[in-house]
Amino acid sequence: MCEKNAAGAPAIEYRDVTKAYGEKTVLGHFDLSVREGEFLTIVGISGSGKTTVLKMANGLVAPTAGQVLVGGRDVATCDQVALRRSIGYAIQGSVLFPHMTVEENVGYVPNLLNGRDRERTRAAVRKWLGIVGLSEELLGRYPAELSGGQAQRVGIARALAASPGILLMDEPFGAVDEITRAQLQDELRRIWRETGITVMFVTHDISEALRLGTRMLVMSEGRMEQCAAPAELLSSPASPFVERLVERERRMCRLPGDELANCPMSGAAARI
Amino acid sequence: MDVIQGMIGELAGNAGFYAGLALEHIQISGIAILIAIAVGGLAGILIAEFQRAARPTLAVVNLLYTIPSISMLGFLIPFSGVGDVTAVIALTVYALLPMVRNTHTGLTGVDPAIVEAARGMGSTRLQVLLKVRLPLAGPVIMAGIRNMATMSIALAGIASFVGAGGLGVAIYRGITTNNGAMTMAGSLVIAMLALAVDALLGVVERRMGMRTARARRQNRVAAGVAAAVCIMAVAGAGAGVLLAPGSAGTIRIASKPMTEQYVITEMLRELIEDRTDLTVELTQGVGGGTSNIMPAMESGEFDLYPEYTSTGWNLVLGEGGVYSEDLFGELADAYEDELAMSWRGMYGFSDQYGLVVRREIAERYGLRTYSDLARVADELTLGAECDFYERPDGYDALCETYGMSFGDTMDMDIGVKYEALAADQVDAMVVFTTDGQLSQADAVLLEDDLGFFPSARCGNVVRDEVLEEHPELGPVLDELEDTIADDEMARMNYEVEAEGADPADVAHEFLVDRGLIEEG
Ligand SMILES: Nc1ncnc2c1ncn2[C@@H]1O[C@H](COP(=O)(O)OP(=O)(O)OP(=O)(O)O)[C@@H](O)[C@H]1O
Ligand SMILES: [Mg+2]
Repeated sequence: MCEKNAAGAPAIEYRDVTKAYGEKTVLGHFDLSVREGEFLTIVGISGSGKTTVLKMANGLVAPTAGQVLVGGRDVATCDQVALRRSIGYAIQGSVLFPHMTVEENVGYVPNLLNGRDRERTRAAVRKWLGIVGLSEELLGRYPAELSGGQAQRVGIARALAASPGILLMDEPFGAVDEITRAQLQDELRRIWRETGITVMFVTHDISEALRLGTRMLVMSEGRMEQCAAPAELLSSPASPFVERLVERERRMCRLPGDELANCPMSGAAARI
Repeated sequence: MDVIQGMIGELAGNAGFYAGLALEHIQISGIAILIAIAVGGLAGILIAEFQRAARPTLAVVNLLYTIPSISMLGFLIPFSGVGDVTAVIALTVYALLPMVRNTHTGLTGVDPAIVEAARGMGSTRLQVLLKVRLPLAGPVIMAGIRNMATMSIALAGIASFVGAGGLGVAIYRGITTNNGAMTMAGSLVIAMLALAVDALLGVVERRMGMRTARARRQNRVAAGVAAAVCIMAVAGAGAGVLLAPGSAGTIRIASKPMTEQYVITEMLRELIEDRTDLTVELTQGVGGGTSNIMPAMESGEFDLYPEYTSTGWNLVLGEGGVYSEDLFGELADAYEDELAMSWRGMYGFSDQYGLVVRREIAERYGLRTYSDLARVADELTLGAECDFYERPDGYDALCETYGMSFGDTMDMDIGVKYEALAADQVDAMVVFTTDGQLSQADAVLLEDDLGFFPSARCGNVVRDEVLEEHPELGPVLDELEDTIADDEMARMNYEVEAEGADPADVAHEFLVDRGLIEEG
C-alpha cells in the first residue's frame, strides 16, 4: 500500500529513471522530486516524454532502470490497484467512458472503493459535480450528449471524485475555447488551493503552464531542460531551448528579464 | 402462382403440424445458440485477454466451420447417435466461429485509451473486462450473436437428417414423398423464423449502440418485458412437462427417407397405439438410412425400424453374394446372435429391382418370366437409369445370367422413365417393384425365374430387449404379416407421391380396408 506518506518524504520522487522502448531511450537518467501540495506543470514538444513521466507515477509505465517513489514507497513493489485508486488521473484527451452516464463516470473510482455503500458514492459525485461547476441535470446524460467543455469538466470531476492526494493530468483542457479554458483553469487552481492536493499537469500551452504551476518542468528529448518557478523560468531561461519556448510570453510584456514576473501578460503574475 | 397457392394451402391445412415442427426447430436451434453464446463468448473473452492463444484458437474454429454439414453429422453419429443431441452439437460447432470471432474482435477493438483510463483509475483486470471492455464490445458481440442465430436457424433444417425434429422434417419428407408444397412450406417457415429472429436481434443490437438517457430508459422497459416473456415461456414449458400424461412405455420407431416407410411406420403407430397402452414415437426419414439407423438401434435409441432383407444381409451383416429368401433363416439367426434383434412381421412386399414389359408386348409374345423375355430380347428396347448399365451386378450380369441381349438400350432419368414407357419409347424397363408409378403403368412385371436380382422383402427389425419388456408388442407386429403385396405398396406410394395424400391417411385407410381398425 502506498497511500500513506512516510513522514517528510516528497509526494512523488524520480530517482535516476530511464525508460527505453527497445533501442530507443525516451527518458534518460531523470531525477525529480515533487513536494506535497506542489502544482507542477510540465511542458515540452511532442514526444519529449511528458506522458511517460506522468504514467510512471501511477505505474502505467514501468521504468527500465531507476526508481519511482510515491509517498516514499517504490511504485514497482506496491499494490498497483490500490495505488491507482489513491491517485486521480485525467488521461490525455480526457476520455470518458462512452457507455456510462455522467453519474457513473464520475462515480467510477468511488464505486470501486466504496463497493456496496452507494450513498457515499452518490454524495461524492454530486459534491464534485458542483465543484467543477456542472448542474445536476447532467447526471443522467451520456458523454455523447455533452459539449466539449462539459465533458472536460466531467473528466476533472472523475479524477477528483475519490478525493485523492495526488492528481495527474495529461493535457486535460484540450479542445475548448479560450473563455472556458480560463474558467477551467481558475477552478482547478481553486480546488488545488482548497484541498492541498499535489498536482502534476502536462500541457502544450506555455502560458497555461506559467499561470497554473508553482513550478514548471521543461522537457526535451527525454531530458529535463529546466525545472523552476515560472518567474525564474521567464527571467533566466537555462538554455536556448527554454528561451525559445517562453519567447512569446517574454516579448508580449516587452520588459527586461528581471521585471517580467510582474507583467500580467506573462501569465506568471496572474497566480499571485 | 400455383406453387405459392399450393404452399399456402399446405400451411393452412396442416397448421398444427408446422407449428409443432416450428417449436421443435426453435428448441433445437435455441439450445445450440445458447450453448454457443456461453462457450464461444467465453472462448472469445479468453483469447482477447490472452492474445497469444488467439491465432491458434481462431484457426481451429475456422477449420471446424469449413467442415461440410453432411460430413459433420456423419462424423458425430458414432459418438452421439441419432437425434436432437447430434443436431445440437453440430449446430453449436458451426455457431462457434461467428461467436468467438466477434467477441474477440469486439473486445480487442475497444479504444485502448479508454482501457488505459480504466486501468489508470485502479480497476483490476476483471473490472476492466466487466465494466469497460465487455459493455463497449457489446454491439459488436451482439452483431455476432445475431449473425450466428440466423445462421443456426437456417442450418437447423438439416437436423432432420439425423433424426432430430424441426422444420427440416417437413422439407425432407416433402422431398422423399414428392410433395413439393410441403418442402416449400417447411422452407418458408424456416426463412420466416430466421428473418424474425434477425429483425428482433437487429433491434436489440441497434438499441445497445444507442447511448442516450432516453434510449436507456426505453431499453430498461424492453429488457423487463423480454425477461417476463422468457420467464413465462420457461414456466409454461415446465408446467407442460409436469402435466404430460404418463404412459405404459414408449416404442421409438425409425424410418428411412422413403415414401413406403413413412406409410408403414404410420400403420405401425396406429395399430400399436390401438392394441396396447404403448406410446409410439416416430422418427421418420432418418438421413443415410440403415447406416445411421443401425448404430442408434444398437445403442438403444430406436427400438424398431422397417428393413429390407437384402440390405440386412449385405450391408448390416456384411455378407457377400446375392441374397435370396432361402437365406432368411440364416439372416434371422445372425441378427439374433450378433445383434440381439429379431425380424418380426414381414409385410409381404419386396422392394427390389424388377423387369417390366409393356402389356402389349407381354401379350404379343406371351411373356411371363425373364427366361421368356430372353428369347425375344433382341427385338426389344430396354430402358434403365444409367447406373444400372455401369454397376457390376447390373446390365451385363443380367444379360449373362439369362443369355439375353437387347436390340437396343436407352439411358433414362428416374423422373421421366414411366413416361417413356407410356410413349412406347422402350419395350422393357428396369424398375423398383414398389415404384408408385408402376401401379399406374400399362405394364407387366415379369418373374425373375433364375433369381438374378437380390430379394428385398420388407419386415421389422426389433430389439429383443424391447420384445421382452413389452410382450404385447410382438403379436401386433404379426398382425401385419403378409398383408401388403408389391402392387399394393406401389399403389399406396402412388397415392402419396402423385396424389399428395398424407401417409398417415393412406396408412389408416389400408388398416380399415383390412378390417384391422374400425372406421373413424
Ligand atoms: N508503448 C510505446 N512503445 C514505443 N514507444 C513509445 C511508447 N509509448 C511512448 N513511446 C515513445 O516515447 C516517446 C515519449 O512519448 P510520450 O507519450 O511520453 O510523449 P509526450 O511528451 O507525452 O508527447 P505528446 O505531447 O505528443 O503527448 C515518444 O517518442 C513515443 O513515440
Ligand atoms: Mg502525451
